[in-house]
Amino acid sequence: MQGTLALMILKTLDVLGPLHGYGIARRIEQISQGVLAVNQGTLYPVLLKLEQEGAIASEWGASENNRRARFYRLTKDGRKQMQAETRDWEQTAAIIGRFFEVKAEDLA
Amino acid sequence: MRSLRRFLARLTNFVARRPKDERLDEEIAEHIALQIAENLRAGLPPAEARRQAVLKFGAVEAIKEDYRAERGLLFIESLLQDLRYGLRALRKSPGFTAIAVLTLALGMGANTAIFSFVYGVLLAPLPYHDASRLVVLNETTPRVGNVSVSYLNFLDWRAQSSSFSQMAYVEKMGFNLAGAGVSQPENISGDSVSPNFLSMIGVRPFLGRDFQPAESQPGTQRVLLLSYQLWQSHFGADRNVVGRSITLDGNDFVIIGVLSPDYRSVEKTDVMLPIGVWATNNPSATERSERGDSTVVGQLALGAPLAQARAEMEGIAARLAKEYPAANDDFSVRLRPIRDAFVGDLQTEILVLFAAVMFVLLIASANVANLFLVRGAARSKEIALRIAFGASRLRIIRQLLTESFVLAFLGGALGLALAFAGIRLMMRLIPQDTLMGASIGLNGAVLLFTAGVVVLAAFVFGMAPAVHSAKWDLQAELKEGGRTASVGAAQNRLRGMLAVAEISLALVLLAGAGLMVKSLYRLIKVNPGFQPDRVLTMEMYLSSQRYSKDPAVLNFWRQVLDGVRALPGVESAALGNHIPLTGDHGRTDITIEGMALPKPGNLPHPDVHTVSPDYVRTLGMVLQRGRTFTDADNETAPLVAMVNDKLARQYWPNEDPIGKRFMWGRFDPASKDAPKWITVVGVVDDTKMYGLANPSRLEVYDPLRQTANNDMELVVKSRIDPSALTSEIRSVVAAVDKDQPIFAIATMNKIVSDDVAAPRLTLVLLGLFSALAVILAAIGIYGVISYSVAQRTHEIGVRMTLGAQPRDVLRMVLGQGGKIALAGIGIGIVAALGLTRLMSGLLFSVRAGDPATFVAVAGLLGLVALFACYIPARRAMRVDPMVALRYE
Repeated sequence: MQGTLALMILKTLDVLGPLHGYGIARRIEQISQGVLAVNQGTLYPVLLKLEQEGAIASEWGASENNRRARFYRLTKDGRKQMQAETRDWEQTAAIIGRFFEVKAEDLA
Repeated sequence: MRSLRRFLARLTNFVARRPKDERLDEEIAEHIALQIAENLRAGLPPAEARRQAVLKFGAVEAIKEDYRAERGLLFIESLLQDLRYGLRALRKSPGFTAIAVLTLALGMGANTAIFSFVYGVLLAPLPYHDASRLVVLNETTPRVGNVSVSYLNFLDWRAQSSSFSQMAYVEKMGFNLAGAGVSQPENISGDSVSPNFLSMIGVRPFLGRDFQPAESQPGTQRVLLLSYQLWQSHFGADRNVVGRSITLDGNDFVIIGVLSPDYRSVEKTDVMLPIGVWATNNPSATERSERGDSTVVGQLALGAPLAQARAEMEGIAARLAKEYPAANDDFSVRLRPIRDAFVGDLQTEILVLFAAVMFVLLIASANVANLFLVRGAARSKEIALRIAFGASRLRIIRQLLTESFVLAFLGGALGLALAFAGIRLMMRLIPQDTLMGASIGLNGAVLLFTAGVVVLAAFVFGMAPAVHSAKWDLQAELKEGGRTASVGAAQNRLRGMLAVAEISLALVLLAGAGLMVKSLYRLIKVNPGFQPDRVLTMEMYLSSQRYSKDPAVLNFWRQVLDGVRALPGVESAALGNHIPLTGDHGRTDITIEGMALPKPGNLPHPDVHTVSPDYVRTLGMVLQRGRTFTDADNETAPLVAMVNDKLARQYWPNEDPIGKRFMWGRFDPASKDAPKWITVVGVVDDTKMYGLANPSRLEVYDPLRQTANNDMELVVKSRIDPSALTSEIRSVVAAVDKDQPIFAIATMNKIVSDDVAAPRLTLVLLGLFSALAVILAAIGIYGVISYSVAQRTHEIGVRMTLGAQPRDVLRMVLGQGGKIALAGIGIGIVAALGLTRLMSGLLFSVRAGDPATFVAVAGLLGLVALFACYIPARRAMRVDPMVALRYE
């Protein structure tokens, strides 16, 4: 789950540009229709992990209600990492997909 | 790569202690604020908007925990945090901390001190090469027990055995050291050894050379090795000492080297010389029946088990006994690992004390666990709150355990200080030679042990309360009052069980101490056969180089005695050898006139004392019959002797022993010489030659003037403190011969006291530990009862309102304590019956299960426990029902 959450974060930042934690949580909730509907706080440890790995960077900025908020953006390393992981995901998904479609007569 | 980066980031955070919690707090606040704004826009009322936002975010504490885990090095960080928290918690309750630390320090200090003896005496590796292959051999005969080894027998052992790759003979000797460069003449001890001895045990000289094979032959040049200590004290650690000479017994010896500083021997060794020097012109080296003061050390052949060597040696000894019956009849051989020779008689004492301190530590830990439980009850809300905020139970347990560790560590540190002082005190109380050169102190092994004890104790007293605290029912705890009957009851049961365990452990210790008290009391009541008060003894050995003829020897002794008798304060003075309780002894075969001649090995074999006329009076012995010696019993008078009661009863039962005769050695009917019969003129009481706890043996006394002896003890009975005479006696001896050393100076009272030093120290320590145990156990049961009284104040109030009298309350509380005490005492008695048997080797004329002792200690402990319960019980009696009912 942590792995998928990390990839969702990276993809969100890639598509939408810099966002604060709440923004990321909302997008993920919207797109995934349910992930992060509760326990949004679990996002923060993952953000920190990605930051410490160098995949994202963060800086203070102003939020919608004009208070200080931490904005996260994708780094070059992060983009590479996201692309690699996306490929892995697509491959895995394709393989698993084929297995789901298999019928007995196909293997006869 | 990525994980490396992440680790580096974590490490940097940990080292730099970046305050990232603040950043997270701010992010969380902003996150929730944004969510609230969103909820408000969706039309929720403000309170609901807030509630929903918080719910959606999730458990803040748990997230913070994860975040921190991600940010830094979690384990160390939370450990530091726990440590800080623990220290703070302990500082907040200084009374609890002080009592717990002190309790643990006493337990751990006692453990450390005793373990330093366990290690030094029983465990520390011997400084020898392949020590497990080294075996000490001596001869043994049923009449006496272990005896020294005849040199000729040793030569045959070595030639005939195949289980040993090497064997070496070690003969103990004494020398008078006097002459140039020696300020005061003194007597030093030496070992004459086979030349292979040092190389066999793997000890190389620190300076100079080892002995050479040829130096085993009689007539070899007089050479010696100095001990490291003698080299330091007498030669100023001069490295050019090799090649110089030293005068022993009037003979010059060439120093060929210095022994290494860690050379360890069972008895003190000042010099070591090759056996050839000892054998030169020495009848002991050529006479098979001569057994001096010697042992044999052997190195087992590779792979040869001790049992095989023992079987082989017993076979060889049996053959030698048959071949040389006059010397060897009824003699066999005894083998034991060299480690046993160093452990000596102290093993049981040390292990019993070690078990005792373990018990003390267990009791101390149980007490601290009890304190923790009480404190845990007071902190239950705090803990429940932390659990509610998302702290995991494991985390709580870990935090409480950290507190235990901090306490245990503090206790251990203070305990080390106590142990340091305790070891020094014990070393002063124990006669040095009983430790056989073991070095006792706070070395690495002992510190490691203490660290282990700290960890163990922390778990023992920390685990139960920690698990217990973390298990608490959260809902119940957070409710008003925070008390639930079931949890309280479980806790009280646990605390009650701890108190029972403490009391039973204390009973075991108390039983051990009680047995020792009774044993020591009986031991010091033993009549030693002499009056030790105001008697001073000292030994003098006249070297045969200076005093080669009997008249010269007798003349020296007469002059010394005359001089000492003339000193003011001297009541009487005498000479005698092999005085009781010193370990000195000399034994010989005798033949009683008219007895049916037994096999050689079954002749009477009494201890022989050569004494001057006033010996019996000076030592305060009792003359039962006949007379003591007079100056008339001289070289030209008929040979006379005194015997002890035991010998008289055994060989002349129902007869008057006065006038009966015996002779030295075995009567040979075929001999052409007329036998030299000796007439018994007196019978004296038995003395305790070999220790108060040991039975007396056969004893014979012969007059000094008829058996001129050059190694005697001067015994002086004084009217004043006898040790005050020492320097005047020195002057008297110096006036006769300025080079004559005096040694082994001791009052007879000291000699008697040293004889019981080991059991006395054992008793003192066991008494101390059991007193500690009883006090701790009393505190333990007091704590349980008074806590329970506090908990039941309300109930007691209700009872009193309903008509219960203070008496009934007293009975109720004492009954509760009594149940704990009885259970503890019952379990304790059963355990003690089993365990005290292990110490029966230490007991003198007391059985390990002595009923009187058990009844006494059980009664004592019962009284102490009841008293400990009486204090809270009185408090319960005074409960004011009105106040109690308002208590809630």
